[in-house]
Parts: sequence; structure tokens; C-alpha cells
Amino acid sequence: MVNKKLLTVSLAAAMLAVTASACGGNNNNDEPKSSNTGNSGNAANASTSPEAEDKTPVTFSYYSFTSQKDTMASDTVIGKELQNQTGVDWKMEFLVGDPQTKSGVMIASGDYPDVIVPEGEIDKLLDAGAFIPLDDLIEKYGPNIKRVYGQYFDKFRQADGKMYFLPFGANQGYVGDPGISQGAFWIQRSVLKEAGYPKIKTLDQYFDLIKQYQEKHPTVDGKGTIGFASLAGPADSFFSITNPAMHLAGYPNDGSVIVDMTTHEAKTYAATDNEKKWLQKLNQVNSEGLFDPETFTANKDQFLAKLTSGRVLGYFNYAWQVGDATNNLMKAGIDEKRYAPLPIVFDENTKDQYLDPPSFVNNRGIGISVNAKDPERIIKYWDNLLKEENQVLVQWGVKDQNYSVDANGRFIMNAQQISDRSDPEKKRSIGWQYFEYSWPRYGNNSVLADGNSYAVSNQPEVAYAGYTDGDKALLDAYGAKTFSEYFSKPDERAWYPAWSINKGQGTPEQIFEQKASDLQKKYIPKLVLAKTSDFDSVWNDYVGQMNKLDVKGYETFITKVVQDRINGKW
Amino acid sequence: MEKLQDVMPVVKSPAASSSRLQLFFKKLMQQKVLLLMSIPFVLWLFLFKYVPLWGWTISFQKFRPAKDLFDQEWVGWKNFHFLFSDDSFYRVLRNTIVMSSINLVLGFVTAIVLAIMLNELRNIMFKRVVQTISYLPHFISWVVAANIISSALAPEGVINILMTKLHLIDQPILWLGKGNYFWGILGASEVWKNVGWNTIIYLAAITTIDPSQYEAAEIDGANRFQRILHITLPGMKSVIVILLIMNLGNILESGFEPQYLLGNGMTVDYSENLDIFVLKYGMNMGNYSLATAAGMFKTVVSFIFLLSANSIAKRLGQSRLF
Amino acid sequence: MKESSAKARYNSVPDKVFDITNIVFMLCIVIVTLYPFINMFALSFNDANDSIRGGLYFWPRVWTWDNYNYIFNEASIYHATFISALRTILGTVVSVFCTAMLAYTVSRQEYVLRKFVTIVAIFTMYFSGGLIPGYLLIKELHMINSFWVYIIPGIISVFNLIVIRSFIEGLPDGIMESAKIDGAGDFITFMRIVLPLTVPALATVSLFVAVSQWNSWFDVFLYNSSHINLSTLQYELMKILQTSNTAASSTNVGDQFAAGQSGVTAVTPTSIRATMTIIASLPIIMVYPFLQKYFVKGMTVGGVKG
Repeated sequence: MVNKKLLTVSLAAAMLAVTASACGGNNNNDEPKSSNTGNSGNAANASTSPEAEDKTPVTFSYYSFTSQKDTMASDTVIGKELQNQTGVDWKMEFLVGDPQTKSGVMIASGDYPDVIVPEGEIDKLLDAGAFIPLDDLIEKYGPNIKRVYGQYFDKFRQADGKMYFLPFGANQGYVGDPGISQGAFWIQRSVLKEAGYPKIKTLDQYFDLIKQYQEKHPTVDGKGTIGFASLAGPADSFFSITNPAMHLAGYPNDGSVIVDMTTHEAKTYAATDNEKKWLQKLNQVNSEGLFDPETFTANKDQFLAKLTSGRVLGYFNYAWQVGDATNNLMKAGIDEKRYAPLPIVFDENTKDQYLDPPSFVNNRGIGISVNAKDPERIIKYWDNLLKEENQVLVQWGVKDQNYSVDANGRFIMNAQQISDRSDPEKKRSIGWQYFEYSWPRYGNNSVLADGNSYAVSNQPEVAYAGYTDGDKALLDAYGAKTFSEYFSKPDERAWYPAWSINKGQGTPEQIFEQKASDLQKKYIPKLVLAKTSDFDSVWNDYVGQMNKLDVKGYETFITKVVQDRINGKW
Repeated sequence: MEKLQDVMPVVKSPAASSSRLQLFFKKLMQQKVLLLMSIPFVLWLFLFKYVPLWGWTISFQKFRPAKDLFDQEWVGWKNFHFLFSDDSFYRVLRNTIVMSSINLVLGFVTAIVLAIMLNELRNIMFKRVVQTISYLPHFISWVVAANIISSALAPEGVINILMTKLHLIDQPILWLGKGNYFWGILGASEVWKNVGWNTIIYLAAITTIDPSQYEAAEIDGANRFQRILHITLPGMKSVIVILLIMNLGNILESGFEPQYLLGNGMTVDYSENLDIFVLKYGMNMGNYSLATAAGMFKTVVSFIFLLSANSIAKRLGQSRLF
Repeated sequence: MKESSAKARYNSVPDKVFDITNIVFMLCIVIVTLYPFINMFALSFNDANDSIRGGLYFWPRVWTWDNYNYIFNEASIYHATFISALRTILGTVVSVFCTAMLAYTVSRQEYVLRKFVTIVAIFTMYFSGGLIPGYLLIKELHMINSFWVYIIPGIISVFNLIVIRSFIEGLPDGIMESAKIDGAGDFITFMRIVLPLTVPALATVSLFVAVSQWNSWFDVFLYNSSHINLSTLQYELMKILQTSNTAASSTNVGDQFAAGQSGVTAVTPTSIRATMTIIASLPIIMVYPFLQKYFVKGMTVGGVKG
């Protein structure tokens, strides 16, 4: 769940820098080549010779372990267009129910569809030999696949040196996300406004501000103001209360470890000083009545209801966890009740790293199954899909219908088009829902040959058109053009993200993660809600329990993979 | 009525065996119709229930679904060892047994009481309406039910408001954050959700009571409670005993969804049961073997409880399962 | 029986007290058990976006049909409802008849295989070979992608078998003996005497089977998920729910900035779940009164009249 969501690779870069140069500010060793390819229009499409391609109508089956309405590809605008080009149609089916059951049954019976997007079940399917190797097919029929994925090939070869699937994040050049779609300390805009938009950097400042405001405004609409809360009740959201320790120390979301920038050693941060500092602060604000203990028991609906009530002054969560509530507040139109993201750290000298560094997720993708009737046609279809004009089609839609091009060659959208782009019904009928992600594709942060952003939301013109007056006023107060602009730029981390490291099924590492997170779930609420005088004894108990686990072994394992990745071995 | 249960093909002594066998087949031939009425279903049971039991071999393997049975890696008792040697296993087992016992006792008592009380209602329309409404919560999923329960138990929820108004508590309690309340909350939730549904079978049992018994009791001057005690309850007794024996066999089935949805880190010492444990270390890690081993363990425990309960019932002269 | 004399006896003071207490007790139960449905009703008729704010209890705040439209616009729902109804009716009739027949045989004290059959059946309640062996069996039997996978694996419910058996055993002695003397064979006895006399039990287990048939979706998921013509209502509702889940927590970059001002009232998993609870449970709840009359009777009516 978590990993899937984190797939939304969101990087920040200044808007202007982006328009000027796609590779500006990005120093990934692998990148320059791709940026060149991406930006030098002539090479945008490797030529597939116009020799008579086989276009006899054929329908293949496509199964994805994500949830979506089943469809025929040709029932969508995009799928129809691709069918016209290739003669290939797809019967697209999606998971209903439990992925583990589905994959187990699929493997046991050997009933594979032609093409599978296994999401979290990828290891099981690879292990079962469900996929055919793609190397020879790509060599023969995949000039565009080579153009897009060539520089990443080594990052997703399996142990036997072959490629069995194509991942979804092959960035071509780099443009950041203008918004904050990941984690941050959020604060109600009224708090900032009343204090005159102060610059807030540290955790102490953040809570001081909230405290002052709460003292002045103890109630909202007759109910008590809540200083700070978080959505951490459901088991699969508990990371909302553990991850801040990592972010506050100045690290991006690497999962359960912090990787040292110089030694490249991976260390867990559970039951370390960083976590202690964070929890001690929460313990303190709890004793001051600023912390909402329901953080640990409320379910998602209850938490969202609280956020929309305007009683919560601050929260830590990832933007996608609480999108329903923030959208609701936006619609309600009361700007002061909305929230602004802040890059909070422990102390003045720490550089914040909330924004994800450029990354390549190598454990998700799409593969051709051993039952596929005609792998060549499928590879050819994929190759055709990766032509730049088709990549524009799957993200932006049809020119002059779904987007327009202005005098400078920039892609723009009007209000109606923006609204269509996110309307679930439109997304289905046009086909974005089915084609924008789980296929061979450019990474979300890619830049097209003509300098436009590959992803709609990363196009600064589009993002800016979506800002409200309140957004603009707030940004003006902080002298920024976009929200991500007042966050620090991400440092290069060649291994990023460490959470995608494959620990294998039922291995000691996987069991360690489960046990460590069980301990966190049990002790963190105790620590936060304890009497301040009891904090240390509970903490010692917690550390003692954690040390019974093989922390060293886990860290050694992660460190090794991190260093392999730095050395180019993925 | 003839009692011929002992005429099973059980060899007791060599001398008697041949004649017993002959008698058995002779009887069997006389009961052709009964045989025809039951054997197809026995074959069905073997095919659909017993044949898949080869799957238990998985618990002795490091199972990988893509391979054939004979290509699997055999690991002996390793999966059982993992299960029984985990630090938390005995806590998990305790929680499982406590929660299922609470559900068993509460479930039985409340359903029987409600059935009797419904039976005592005089207005038949009212009775039918109440009965229909009482079983409605059975039709909502646990996800929905858990939502309702946790909002009722929230610091600003209806339970806290009521209890504060009645001066039972000074300040709101974080009900779902205290381990020692968890079992009670769970038991109450199960009752709320299923009492009406569980009542149905007892109501059906009550309909079989001969009404002339009530009339006779009335003539004898028995009051309401005496009639309940001496007619209604005995009339339900055999169903109660049979259900009790069957449910004792399910002692390790304490449910999964309510614990998963209502439990959290603060209550984990009380809420985590065997099914959640198996989900975490079995299914979530692609470890079918562990899940199968746990299933076998459950079956063994089930059989022990089932056979003991049945023989106790037999000794007490009650109706029994077999 | 003389209703009037019975009534007179009920009118003593303790009886009155008892009745009033009982009625109050029942009213409490009605309030507590009716609430979830009222709440689901309110949520399902309330604007999804407004529901996020919480605080909905008894009545919708912002009325809308959108949640229902969202589900009823799904063309596959209608055929799926037909399949659900078909499997419920057919599955219930087949299962109850077969289970009752087997129950009759194991209730016959003279049947030499009685104990053997009973034990073979009862044991199956407490084990399972697991998901994958079960799936492979169905595959070997060529029941994947067929309607029969809804009926045949559920022919016998052992729980129901035991319930029916205990009712048959509770029938007054001598009824079956007299049938025997009249020359009726076992099958005739079963059809003509046992079935009519165990109607309360049959109604009860019919309800159990029907509800589980109506609600089941896991077998659709396992065996028939790629065969839309065999899909059931619950499975289609699950699909809609999961799709709305994805929409709500979308990973897609296009959504996060635009959803807010788009003016599109997106459905939320909470509102969809409430709506599907109502849609899926109403039909089975409406069937209920027809079965109910067999096991909820007047206190002094009913019972076995030999």
C-alpha cells in the first residue's frame, strides 16, 4: 500500500529553472544522456522502419493488481487510437479482492493472462517464472524501448542478468513537482496569518506558534481547538507517526532507515536519539494539552472529519493520505481553514529534505507472461506506445480537445480541461485512467523533447492555473512562486528510495521489519501519552525490547544493498 | 426404536467378526434406500472436503506455489517450530481463547434470552417487527460496523457524552486506547451485531414445543417464569446443547475483522489473535506454509474440544453430536 | 384452545409488569440495532463530499441521488443481480433439499452407516485443505467459469445438517413408525412426513443458505472473475467500492491539484459503502418476512400437531 502510493515520484525544482533547462539542478550521473535525448527533438523517436507492420486485429489480455473498472482498451479514446495504429486491442482486467490470494491462485493454476502488472506480488510471480525474458525481443523490436529504458536496463535486471518486466519510472530529463504531494508538517493558514507569516524552521518554533494560537483561540465553533494530530490509527497508516523522526533529522523518506550521506551506512532510526527527540516533543506537547490522543485510535473517516472541521491547527501526514479532506476544505472556499506545508526540522542547522530525490523504482512494472500468445506483437505495441507522440497522448490526451498549445509551444489547459483531467468518468472514457500509468512509459518527472512537462501536474502553467487567490497570497508572503519552492532541493541519493529494497519473502529482514514495527506500534503511544516523568523509563523499556531484535543484521543488509546501488548494481 | 449404532464394521474379536460382518451387510442391503439417500453426499464430502487435504503437506514444506508437490523443499516441522517458538505466540493464543470464550458465552446467553423474551411478547406484529430489526446489523460489514463503534466510543462520541451526563465518569475515556477494555468492547460489539441473527434458530426451536404443554402448565397455575423455566427452556435444550458442542470445536476461531479494525498499538496485547498473527507472518510474507501449519494446529485443538464436549454430553445423558 | 381464558390469566399484576419491562427492553434493542441502518441510509443519500465532514447520524444533510446513480449507472449491475437471485434461489433449494435428505438418513436410529456418515460429515467442519488445493480441485472438475461452481460445492452444509437432524429427532415418536406400518419407504416418509413437519427448521436453514449465497463474492473472485456474465451483485459492488478507493487515494499526478476545484462530486469509499450496504441488503431483508412466519409464531399457536 505504502509503497504503491509512494510511487508518485514528486520532485521539486524551481519553476523557472524547469522551463529554462530540463537538466538544471540535477546532477545524477545517469541523467545527462537522457536529458539530451529527451530535449534534442530529432532523437525523440527512434525510427521504426515503415515496413508493412502486421496490423491484423488481435485482442490480448491485460491483468493489473490495481483496482479499476474492467474495460476493453478500444472503448477509450486513447486505446482506440493505439488500436488504429497497431491493430491490437486489450481486454483489461483489474483486481477485486485480495492480491495475495489472486497471485497464489494464478501461480498454482498457471492461468496467466498475456500481460501482467503485478504491483506488490511481483516477487512471487518472478519467483514462479511467470514472465518471459524480454532482452531478445527488445533487441529485435524495441528501438523506442531502448531509447527510453536503455540507461536504466542495469537497474532492473534480475539475478540471472535478464529483464523480465519494464518499470514505470524511466525519467527522461527532470522536472520537479510544483506542489507538495508528499509529507510535510502542515499548519492551518489562520495560524500563519495571525502571526504575520513568520519563517518557521524548527519543531520548537512550530509548536510554539501553535501553542500561542491555541491559547488565544481555545475553541472553534464551540468545540475545543486541537493543537496537533495525525492520521496514525489504522495499522497501515502508522508510519505517519514514525516517519517524522527521519524527516526532522533532515532526510527524505527512505522507509525505516536513514542513510548517512558520507559513509552511506544505513541505520534504523526506531529507538534512536532522533526518534527520542521527536517523541519527547510530542510527550511535552501532550502534557500541555496540544496533542490529540485520538491520533492513535481514530480511523480515516474520523480523522478527515476532524481536519475539515477547522479545529486542528497542525498535522503531519503525506498529502495523499488526507486528499479528501484538503480538497473538501478547498471547495468550501474558506482559505484560513486550509493548511500550508512547512519543511520543519529539529534545529536551525539542518537542511530539510522533504522532497523526494530523483529515483528509479525497480520493483514495480509490467511483464509478458509465459502464456502470451504473441510476445512480438506485444513488444511492438509497447515500442509504439513509447513513441513521444503516444506518450503525450497518454498523459495530455488529444490536442485542442484536452489541452492546447500556446504561441510559445507550451501545453496549457483551461479550467474545463483541468476539471476533465481529474473527473473519474472522463478519465475513463478518454482512457487516461487505463493508459497513463501501468504501461511502459516515461517517468513522471520527464521532460518532453519540446520542453513541456511529461506529467500534466508538473507543468508549471497548469499548476499555477489551479492556485486560488489564497494560495497566491500565501506564496507571495513567503516570496515563492510554488509551494515546493520554499522547500530545500533534494540532494542526490543514488540509492533512493531505500524502501524499495527487496527483502525477499519470509526472510529475517522481513521478519525484523514486522517485529520492529510491532514494537513501535506498541510503545510509541505509551511514550507520547506517558506522564513526562515516566517517559525515560518507558523509553528504556522500548530500547531494551528493540535491541533484542537483530538490528545490526538488518542494517548490514540494507547498507550492502545501498552500496551496491551506488555502484550501479541494482 | 432399535438401537443399532454398535453395528459398525468394527472388528472386536476374530470369532465374532465374520458373523458380525455378515449381519452388517445383511442390514445394509435392507437399507438400500437410506444408502442411496446418503452415499452420494458422502462421496461429495470426500471429494470436496477430504481430497483437498493433501494441501496439508504444504505445512511441512517451504512452499512455492509454482512448483509441483514433489519438487517442493521439505522442511519437516520447521513451520510449526516457528509458530510455537515465537515470543508472542502464547499471548496470541491466550487472546484467541479468551475472546472466543467471551463470544461463545455472551453469544449463547444473549441469543437465548432474547429468543425467550421475544416469545413472551403478546402482540404478534410487534414481535415480528422487533425480531426483523434486531437482526439487521448482521447485514452490515465489519468495516461499517467498526466505523460506527469507534465513533460511538470516541472521546466526543455518544458513550462518553452519556456517561459524563450520568456522572459515571468525570472526563471522556479513550475507550479504544485501553487494552483492558478491549475484550469487553469486542464482546459487546459481537452481541450487538449478531444477537438477532443468532436468535433465529432458537425461535425455530421454540415453535416445536407443543402448545398443550403451556395450557397444562397454566391450568396448574404456573407463572411466567415457571413456564419459561420448565417448558420453553427444556424445549430448546437439545438445540442449545448441539450448538454448544459444535461451537466449542471453534474455540480458536475468534474472528479476524473486528480485532483487526478496532485494535491498535495501544491494545495489541489484548487484541492480536491467531488469525492476525498468521496474516502478519504467513500471508503477508507469502508464507502459505505457516498459514497451513496454523490451520492444522487449529484443527487438532478443535478435535480435542469437540470430542471432549461430545463425550461430556454423552456422560450427562444429553443429546450429542455423534 | 380458548384465547379468552388464556388472556384473563395474563392480566395479573406481575404479568403486566413483566410485559411492560419486556416492551421497554425490546424498544431499547430496536433503537440500538436499527441505528446502523438509519446511519447508512443517511450517508447514502448525503453528498459524498459533505459526508467527509462527519457528524451525520440520522438524516442526510445535503440530499443527493448521486451515490445511487453512481452505482446504478454501472450497466453490469443488472445482470449480476439476476445471477445473484438465480444462485440464491437455486442454491438454497438444492442445498436445503440435499442437506435435509442426508439429515433424515443420519436421524434414522436403525441405519447401519449412521454413525459413520455423521462423523465423516462433522469432522469437515473443523478443517480445510486450504485455498490452493481447493482451487485446483475446482479446476480439475472443470467448474472454473461455470455457474455450477456456485451450487455444487455448497450442496451440503454440515452445520445445517446437524440443525435439521436435531429437529427431526425432536419429532414426536411414533410418527415415522406409523408411516412405516402404512408401508411407506424411507424416501416417501422423508418427502411426505419429515419435510412438512420440519418446516420451521427448513425455513431457518433456508435463510442461512440464502443469505450466504446472496452475500458471497469470494467464489466469484476465485473462479469466475474473468467471466462477466457470471458475476454477482456483491462482486460488482466490491468492484465499484475498490475502484472508488483507488480514486480517493489516487497515485496519479493529475489528480492531486485539480480534484479540489474541479466541481466534480467524487464519490468516496465511505458513501459508496453505505449505499451498497443498503442496495445489497434490502432484497434479502424483504424476503425475510416470508420465511419469518414459519419460525416466529404466536406464543400459543404453532408447534407440531401430530
